Amino acid sequence: MKNLIPYFTLGYPDNNTLKDFLMAMPVNKINYIEFGFPSDDPRYDGPTIRITHRVGNQNFNDGFYKPIFQYFKSNGIKMYSLSYYSDIGPKFEDFISYLISRGFSGIIIPDLIIDYYSEAEEKISYLNNKNFEYIPFFSPSTPDHIIKKIAEMTSSWIYYGLQPSTGIDIPYEIDYTTERINQLLPGREITYGFGIKTEEDIKQLMKNGGSGVAIGSYIEKMLEKNDKKGFLDYINKIRGVLDDE
Amino acid sequence: MISAINSEIIPENWYNVIPDLPEPLPPPKDSKAEFSSINLLNKILPKEVLRQEFTFKRYEKIPDEVIEQYEQIGRPTPLIRAKNLEKYLDYGGKIFYKFEGATATGSHKINTAIAQAYYAKNEGVNGVTTETGAGQWGSATALAASLYKLPAQIFMVKVSFIQKPLRKIVMNLYNGNVVPSPSNLTEYGRKILSENPDHPGTLGIGISEAVEYALDHDYRYMVASVMNSALTHQSVIGLETKKQLELIGEHADVLIGCVGGGSNFGGFTFPFIPDHPDTEIIATTADEVPKFSKGDYKYDLMDSAGVLPEVRMYSLGADFVPPTIYAGGLRYHGASPSLSLLINKGRIKSDEVNQEEVKNAIRTFANTQGIIAAPESGHAIATMLNYVKAHKNEKKTIVVNVSGHGLLDLSIFQ
Repeated sequence: MKNLIPYFTLGYPDNNTLKDFLMAMPVNKINYIEFGFPSDDPRYDGPTIRITHRVGNQNFNDGFYKPIFQYFKSNGIKMYSLSYYSDIGPKFEDFISYLISRGFSGIIIPDLIIDYYSEAEEKISYLNNKNFEYIPFFSPSTPDHIIKKIAEMTSSWIYYGLQPSTGIDIPYEIDYTTERINQLLPGREITYGFGIKTEEDIKQLMKNGGSGVAIGSYIEKMLEKNDKKGFLDYINKIRGVLDDE
Repeated sequence: MISAINSEIIPENWYNVIPDLPEPLPPPKDSKAEFSSINLLNKILPKEVLRQEFTFKRYEKIPDEVIEQYEQIGRPTPLIRAKNLEKYLDYGGKIFYKFEGATATGSHKINTAIAQAYYAKNEGVNGVTTETGAGQWGSATALAASLYKLPAQIFMVKVSFIQKPLRKIVMNLYNGNVVPSPSNLTEYGRKILSENPDHPGTLGIGISEAVEYALDHDYRYMVASVMNSALTHQSVIGLETKKQLELIGEHADVLIGCVGGGSNFGGFTFPFIPDHPDTEIIATTADEVPKFSKGDYKYDLMDSAGVLPEVRMYSLGADFVPPTIYAGGLRYHGASPSLSLLINKGRIKSDEVNQEEVKNAIRTFANTQGIIAAPESGHAIATMLNYVKAHKNEKKTIVVNVSGHGLLDLSIFQ
């Protein structure tokens, strides 16, 4: 079964609307869930997600989400935090303890190996010692030798971003991308995200060995419009595309 | 001079350094919260150039049509052993120079201009537009556009426009339309002029004007430097140099080039990065624009108006207005992200030289080798001369990129 990983920025568009969407989402259609902790500088997100961080920063309330986190954990849905190191770096260990206490399985840190490469090895070792999954985030600009090195330090799935930031429309090359990553990391579970454009692209990614997709910007637009039906239809549609492969 | 048939020397593929960098290249980021300047690139760059901008492919096939034009404009350019200079310096090692001044427009700029104009033409756009400092890039854009029968609108930094009237004639001969920047052709130019009618102009302002013009006229913006796609196209310089050295059984111990935005330098040196780990690489720039020694390695705007994305680079600040030094091509406030990263990680060293050193270096080079180098290239020559003095007894093989000739810049010696 291919993985469907929806993304939500906590607190966007407001806590109650987000809760409404989350609780309506059929848990049997998704595999993991990715929660973005609002960032002061979501530098590798595109305009749609950037807005969600700004709004989320004003609304996020841990007490409100604690039972929601428990709900997903009790339903067997692994939760991953998407957090920027520029935000969590100074209180890294505290933040990981917090995530563990809320039932999270791991963390995606898009800026760690880009802007804080010299600290990456130590932080990944720390997470490994805590048995907390570090999800390597790679993009087209990640050099081959770093993809290999970071992947070897981890055993989790890999998040490969197709674009320089989310939800934008820069040409990408699916066949070359998958060929490269398959050669560098044979047999590894690869989830693609960051600006996937069409269902055809999802099909192609899965056909070429991808293990799943992460979707974010499109969902956030439906949250903004409070279009729950559109959101549920979209989840079902993408699930169908993945199941066809 | 190395002689071999062109097809042996001109490469079949360009080289892209991204997959071989020591650390991940920080991607461009949007500078405004609710607007994607990265997405804007979709509207102003030819799609193929945009794809190459973000590709991780180590090699990109050079289209046959582009190779054909490379031959027409003088590629491969010569790699010449500077024996007269060696004798003059009493140097026991070897000095070679790659002479990009031998192209039709007299500089390396034509290498990417042809590629970008080719891709723009294939998309059926109305024309191309760009900014130019010293006029080398403007000349290259005008010629490349002319080769593909595209109109070209060029915004030339005002101070250079005044200092280098012959460049304007060259661009006009190639059917390019040239205006001094800031200009009245764009809203941004008019704004600058209303605040300061005597503004000398900067490359950053010129970029902003060209981007605005491209958006308003369905033109495509031609990227002179800084962005990765331009450096990839310029790799033809370094790939040819490697091949030429190989043909005569030489190995480069030291590579030296000058840096404005980084395109001739990156194109010349990056192809050596993956398999020449011991080769010393030195980037030289103007004392008056000390981006590597006094600039910060940070995310900053590529252009003054903030139309283009921010990139992480050594920068003196997008609003930096450099002194009106004669080397107009070195006045840019930043440097390409890949070059900046390699300098930050210590793989590439940097040097700065002042105007007097540069003038003397150009004189020395002219008197010994007969080549009158462009003021920008004079910086690389000055650094090379200093290097020889400092390493007199080491007998190294030094290769310097003379990125252009200075026959249209002679007024600096008046």
